[in-house]
Amino acid sequence: MIILFLLPAGILILLVFGVPLIRYSWLSMHAASVVTGLDNIPNGGANWIRLLNDMRFWKDAWQTVRFASFSVSLEVFLAILIALLLHQKWKGRGILRSISLLPWALPTTVMALGWRWIFNTPYGPIEKIINFMGLNPLNILSNPKLTWLSTVLGDVWKTTPFLALILLAGLQTIPDDLYEAFRLEGGKPFQAFLKISLPLLKPYLFLGVIFRLAQAFGVFDLIQVMTGGGPAGSTESLALYAYLNAMRFLDFGYSATIMLASFILLVCACALSWVLIYQSKNIYRVYNS
Amino acid sequence: MKHKIIWVLLLVIWSLSPLSWQLYTSFCTQEAITHPLTNPGPHWTLNNYRQVLTASPPLWDYLFNSLLLGLTTTLLTLVFAIPASYALSKLKPLLARTTKIILISAALFPYVLLFLALLEFARNFNLGNNLFALSIPYSALSMPLAILLITSAFKDLPKDLEEAARIEGLGIWQRLRWVLIPLIAPATASTSILIFLFSWNEYPIALTWISKPELLTLPVAIARIAGSSIYSVPYGAYAAATVLGSIPLLIMVLIFQKQIISGLTKGAVKG
Repeated sequence: MIILFLLPAGILILLVFGVPLIRYSWLSMHAASVVTGLDNIPNGGANWIRLLNDMRFWKDAWQTVRFASFSVSLEVFLAILIALLLHQKWKGRGILRSISLLPWALPTTVMALGWRWIFNTPYGPIEKIINFMGLNPLNILSNPKLTWLSTVLGDVWKTTPFLALILLAGLQTIPDDLYEAFRLEGGKPFQAFLKISLPLLKPYLFLGVIFRLAQAFGVFDLIQVMTGGGPAGSTESLALYAYLNAMRFLDFGYSATIMLASFILLVCACALSWVLIYQSKNIYRVYNS
Repeated sequence: MKHKIIWVLLLVIWSLSPLSWQLYTSFCTQEAITHPLTNPGPHWTLNNYRQVLTASPPLWDYLFNSLLLGLTTTLLTLVFAIPASYALSKLKPLLARTTKIILISAALFPYVLLFLALLEFARNFNLGNNLFALSIPYSALSMPLAILLITSAFKDLPKDLEEAARIEGLGIWQRLRWVLIPLIAPATASTSILIFLFSWNEYPIALTWISKPELLTLPVAIARIAGSSIYSVPYGAYAAATVLGSIPLLIMVLIFQKQIISGLTKGAVKG
């Protein structure tokens, strides 16, 4: 009887999360594009061979990894600071929490548009300040060396509150007595943070980082609206490349291959971050023995 | 922390300055935007808002579409998630753990990678350009998190309570309807808000499922303004659209701050 309660939700989840992965595995072994008249013709792994030799795919993979690792590391740093600040007891805390939550709640596309205007040359505020200081314009959105950093900033701005709240939840589980005891033994506040807060925050940090890493890896909205992948493809992410293959080049077989490959890369990235967060001590020990 | 006020100010500036710039721009005339110092004409205007609100279709339509979609999605998700969560809270530990791990992996999955299969789904079953149909993938995508949150609420209820209701002769539906669901209301509320926010902000699936201009959701409509032309973008109108698109969320965050935070943090603690 009780299993029946699980069934409708289970079927829906399986339909939306499970079936696509099976469908992609199948599609990735077929030619399915305008060239084949949108028919699915088995092509014996030709998509995968094409993927391995596709420089654009590897460039996008590198750009996606770069984007995800930079924005998640920056977010972790800022989120720890914000979580510590929000954890303090004082009157205006509720309002401060609302304010810091706002960037997370806004639709990504809305602020992606906002960032485009802020980084605009020559009318955006950043270029105006640079102009005021008498420096040459940076052309942020048309300089491949800078554009990706501006997308990182857009992502960090939006998603740091989420991570900060996860860490705040972690901070709230640590009893005050621990800090008190540490203080009485002559420990400095910063040491208390390193010796008490950080180790106890680890599970929260891990969960938040994995979640953020997965989301940053699939970055699409921000890039599509803010830069469209440009300039010169320098901000194109794997998800955007897969989207373009399906919707612009109408090559569904290859698009499915890219998405499956992205998924595999993501699993590897998550495993790596697990090693970094949980096994760092062991690795350190091995190297020092 | 010393100099707390400085840190607080920094946080406020960091969070609000990008939006403030939009707010400022939205009230500027085109001349004031492009030539702020040498512009002889008026600096302030409401034209940008007038333009966005009288365009065809006006911005209100998109707000309404997003609202409708958000409500349908939330309702649909809860109808599926509450019974499933109840069942999950009664499962044997091993089975419950396995299900939980599957749900967590699904909740972590970058769902944008699913868009192609979902689009095929829409084509095969003729679900494109239909806001109610769009709420099906939306609620499936928010289901894992919803189930995790509501399950932990069911688990927190005292066991004797349901037992007492059972002895009183209430059937499973009656117990759920009159005893258990009212008691998990706070968790349901914070879950609903998270689902609503997801649905309100979702972009890639709405982008591929909806093509009729009058059915677009707010994120897609705003992105379209950006895509309309790269070189001569109407910055003022642009900013007005972002401001109007932000107001509903500003209100939601101010009212539901506690629920949002408890939803997010419960997801972390119990998940």
